[in-house]
Amino acid sequence: MPKPIRILLFSSARTVVGRAELAWTVPSEGTPAATIARDLARTYPALARTLSASRLVRNGRYLRSPTERVRPGDELAIHPPYGGG
Amino acid sequence: MTATVRLTPRPLSVGAAWKALETDGAGGVVVFAGRVRPDPGPTGRVTAIVYEAHAAPAIARFRALARIAERRFGARRTVLWHRVGRVPVGTVSVIVGAACAHRAAAFAAARYLIEALKASVPIWKEERGRSARRPRRRPSPRGARSAG
Repeated sequence: MPKPIRILLFSSARTVVGRAELAWTVPSEGTPAATIARDLARTYPALARTLSASRLVRNGRYLRSPTERVRPGDELAIHPPYGGG
Repeated sequence: MTATVRLTPRPLSVGAAWKALETDGAGGVVVFAGRVRPDPGPTGRVTAIVYEAHAAPAIARFRALARIAERRFGARRTVLWHRVGRVPVGTVSVIVGAACAHRAAAFAAARYLIEALKASVPIWKEERGRSARRPRRRPSPRGARSAG
């Protein structure tokens, strides 16, 4: 049984899902990040708009491409538009 | 070049930032501090802002911005400090600063650091108002009104 990935939700993403973190199952060979985002939007329709404006961060690094694969045990963070300062 | 970067729930001190920027040969030192403002809004007058950050990428981004300030403006020292957690109105939420050979470069570097921080560092804010209604998020840097 592959280890799930951890999905970290910040700001508006956390608000619409109602949780700060999700466990998400991916196959052992991994799944493109864009596919995970699409599946998340299907599971949480209210998240779709936020996802379309968000950056994805895998294991602390910004994705170079939405086709980058996320593998079991990885951490995938959803970053809505920033607002520091 | 020396950069100090900080994400902290503790108060930020302009004096401490000034001290961190001390270095021989820097003829221009600029420190910018952003404070939480009591703007009126749908939730009533803002009394505080709660900041959250994705810490590891935020620190990495702070360091990257410091390297850019060094390369682009010749900054000899920089500071990038940001509060996390609840920050009351009137309190400093962010400090950036740069020490450069001359004033023009120091002003440009500090301006670059605060603008780039707001646009590219994973930090988010949520207003807390006097009203008991739902808090209002500030979803984008364009909506930000707290730091200058």
